[in-house]
Amino acid sequence: MTQQASKLVIVTEKLLLKKIAKIIDEAGATGYTVVDAGGKGSRNVRSSGQPTISDTYSNIKIEVLTPNRDMAVKISDEVAAQFFDDYSGIAYLCSVMEVLHAHKF
Amino acid sequence: MDFLSDFFTLFLGKLQSPTLGFLIGGVVVAAVNSRLAIPDPIYKFIVFMLLIKVGLSGGIAIRNANLLEMLLPAVFAMIVGILIVFIGRYTLAKLPKVKVVDAIATAGLFGAVSGSTLAAGLTILESESITYEPWAAALYPFMDIPALVTAIVLASIYISKQRDTADEALSKQEYLSKQPVTAGGYPSEQGITASGYPRKQPERVKIWPIVKESLQGSALSALLLGLALGILTRPESVYESFFDPLFRGLLSILMLVMGMEAAARIGELRKAGQWYALYAFFAPLLHGFIAFGFGMIAHYTTEFSLGGVVILAVIAASSSDISGPPTLRAGIPSANPSAYIGSSTAVGTPVALALGIPLFISLAQALG
Repeated sequence: MTQQASKLVIVTEKLLLKKIAKIIDEAGATGYTVVDAGGKGSRNVRSSGQPTISDTYSNIKIEVLTPNRDMAVKISDEVAAQFFDDYSGIAYLCSVMEVLHAHKF
Repeated sequence: MDFLSDFFTLFLGKLQSPTLGFLIGGVVVAAVNSRLAIPDPIYKFIVFMLLIKVGLSGGIAIRNANLLEMLLPAVFAMIVGILIVFIGRYTLAKLPKVKVVDAIATAGLFGAVSGSTLAAGLTILESESITYEPWAAALYPFMDIPALVTAIVLASIYISKQRDTADEALSKQEYLSKQPVTAGGYPSEQGITASGYPRKQPERVKIWPIVKESLQGSALSALLLGLALGILTRPESVYESFFDPLFRGLLSILMLVMGMEAAARIGELRKAGQWYALYAFFAPLLHGFIAFGFGMIAHYTTEFSLGGVVILAVIAASSSDISGPPTLRAGIPSANPSAYIGSSTAVGTPVALALGIPLFISLAQALG
């Protein structure tokens, strides 16, 4: 029994995690996954390792599975409008995923 | 002339202390691209250990101290913290090619206090056997918090003025329909949309969240916890057998990390521009001397010890490296973190440690 879903991926600064988590919850998504991230973006190169001095510099990748595309776009728009002027970040959508083995998402 | 020659002899002697030796060693190691690295959790743990030790020793000693004496130095610490931000606002921010918000954030970070620089200052004071008030370390928050609050308030005022004068800021809906949202380049062309504290009314800054966030920062929490434990409990046994003996060794490792970090951040500073480098070099010494002057006023009026004056100067010269940056990043989102973190870590902190501390101690010894 597979379920259709959209996956929204947001890569941004760790500092914003709490605020973004709130937006995700308010949009009605049932959960999300967060991992440490590194790589190269339009602003600069970030290592995936924790920077020495402060967490200000580390990045995270947040993945949200939503039952439809609209919810994912709503989350993404809200996050972009609030933060992406001032913080580094990117959001992209992977449509039509199949979710296996989830009681509910 | 005698005064000057004495002063320089003292000053040269200070440069050979282990604290500064390890700092310079760290810079050299990083500069030759060595793969030597101190793991990050260890760094965080060392910072915790140092500040809890400083807090404990302060707390233990405060029990039988007269806290009324602390009033004047605490007020001076606040004044200096606020003054530093204004100095930055009217010097650095006026220079060509320097963005005002970046300059305010940098000044805020230089006004904030570095726990590690404070710990280094205390260690060198002890090794010189200069006495200082037990509560002097508790001046930290009195300078740190006002500086960060002032910087964030100043930046918010500036940004909302800019927004009012901007021809037409794009509304959120227009913004979303006009262009695909990408990770925006810095800065946005159409006036900055401040989404700092609080989100709904960017023109009104709430002070309490900034204060709360500063107090919740790892460095300040450890210091305050140590103070509370020192005052309310009897931690002498564990202090004498564990925290105190480890202190100097841990501090030297921390200095090595700071040196390595400074060398690693130099590149970022290069991107930020030469004015930042200039400011970061002179600001710690200027701020330290201003605080030293205030401290001397307290010295002559309320018997504030010369050691205490040095501590006040050291916390003024220091620029925050752990708890300040995240607070500023959240409070002034439109400021470029490379500018302020680069200035502070690459130049400000090494200058405060390597030149500031020996200068102020030599000055105090020459005056004493």
